[in-house]
Amino acid sequence: MNRHPPVSDTATAAVVVEDLHKRFGELEVLKGVSLTAREGDVITLIGSSGSGKSTLLRCINMLEIPDDGRIVIGGEAIALKKKRGNTVPADARQVERLRTRLGMVFQSFNLWTHMTILQNVIEAPVHVLGVPKAEAVDRARMLLDKVGILAKADAYPVQLSGGQQQRAAIARALAMQPKVMLFDEPTSALDPELVGEVLRVIRQLADEGSTMILVTHEMGFAREVASKVVFLHQGRIEEEGSPDKVLTDPDSDRVRQFLSRHLSGAA
Amino acid sequence: MDPAGCLGIRPALFPGVPMLELLSFGPNGWGGQLLLGTAMTVAVAVSAFAFGIVVGSLGASAKLSHSLVLNTIADVYTTVVRGVPELLVIYLLFFGGSGVATAIARAFGYDGRVDLDAFTIGVLAVGLISGAYSTEVIRGAVQSVPFGQIEAAKACGMSRWLILRRVLVPQTMRFALPGLGNVWQLTLKDTALVSVTALAELMRVTHLAAGATREPFLFYSAAAALYLLLTTISTALFNRAELSANRGVRRA
Repeated sequence: MNRHPPVSDTATAAVVVEDLHKRFGELEVLKGVSLTAREGDVITLIGSSGSGKSTLLRCINMLEIPDDGRIVIGGEAIALKKKRGNTVPADARQVERLRTRLGMVFQSFNLWTHMTILQNVIEAPVHVLGVPKAEAVDRARMLLDKVGILAKADAYPVQLSGGQQQRAAIARALAMQPKVMLFDEPTSALDPELVGEVLRVIRQLADEGSTMILVTHEMGFAREVASKVVFLHQGRIEEEGSPDKVLTDPDSDRVRQFLSRHLSGAA
Repeated sequence: MDPAGCLGIRPALFPGVPMLELLSFGPNGWGGQLLLGTAMTVAVAVSAFAFGIVVGSLGASAKLSHSLVLNTIADVYTTVVRGVPELLVIYLLFFGGSGVATAIARAFGYDGRVDLDAFTIGVLAVGLISGAYSTEVIRGAVQSVPFGQIEAAKACGMSRWLILRRVLVPQTMRFALPGLGNVWQLTLKDTALVSVTALAELMRVTHLAAGATREPFLFYSAAAALYLLLTTISTALFNRAELSANRGVRRA
């Protein structure tokens, strides 16, 4: 835990989630979840599939609109309103603005297939933030170099391996200079031998002090990089705490069972 | 009528003029007229196709919207236009179009009568037919765009308009182009129906030339060759457009 000393109370919370509820039709996926990520925190969300961890992550940048609860990004609460029984963002502009501060990395990469890797990385800085193109290109090249795929800058996503595509997607998210990085199972769609190269990049970001919220099945990795581990079960937080506590000596039997299933196979 | 006359065996009205000279640009030839007719056909087809793309984009948006009213309007439009003979659509617009346009002008405070010329009616009629087919092509193409492409754009903070312009339209194009290529060919051939309004497009000019020279087979063959030339050129252009829209897609 030397890597992540406890953050002082005065640190501004990067993301605050309060009493979040989300249902898909009859199915209530989140049943009142609260979470705080301070600057420099690396929070990993774990739990079995269907526990609501991805939904929680997707609510933070409003890819899913929560039915109830509050989300505060860098001190600014996302305004929601009721419309014909559904909760919708009160101000689309606000959501767009707050999203620029949150870098999202998807399980399936979602690089724009009609653009080269370089074009993918400069797209949002140029068209959303209004960064001059030359400046965006310089920065994109620097980021592609950082994730180790500068040589692929002019290739199209389909010409890259899964691991390279995911590293490009990370560079694309970083190009917006986000305050918080959100990772939604970033290695789940990868062949086992490609997982390592993506985890290395994420670990490097953690070491540099980036604030990150990460949904993952890689327990070993969670233990290494996380400052806090949150275990979700059926839409509620079952247990949360330091990785040493939650991943080696959990209070909850459910967590214990989950770990015995996942650590045996993942070693 | 002697059917053999269609084969040009009967003495022609222009005795002594060799058949091929009838197609030339000389004083006895119809070449210039045919060329003008072909240009008119291209003008009607391009305008109608463009109008059809606009109508088709609106129609597809309406079909994909969550509004029951818009869904219904678009469904009625495509069902009616695709379910009625195309010639009938042209007659309806020819005999009813000016009346409707006058009524609309009145509603905006204009007192005079609005007469739509044959070109406008042709473009509107063929464009509405073309638009009905484009609606379905574009709707299918939009639905083929993987949702992750849109989500990635949202996650970067792009506005709806920016997502439409930078991601949805380019992605839709690659799925829509093969279908739109077909619609273009149909549209080009549908312009022949506009000849019933006496607009001097290729079919009408051919008809006049065939009647005047008593060489119908010759002129209808020439027209077929010209239509074939147009569709061949345009198919090649669409293939090139598809190649460029499909950059970054692995060939199956």
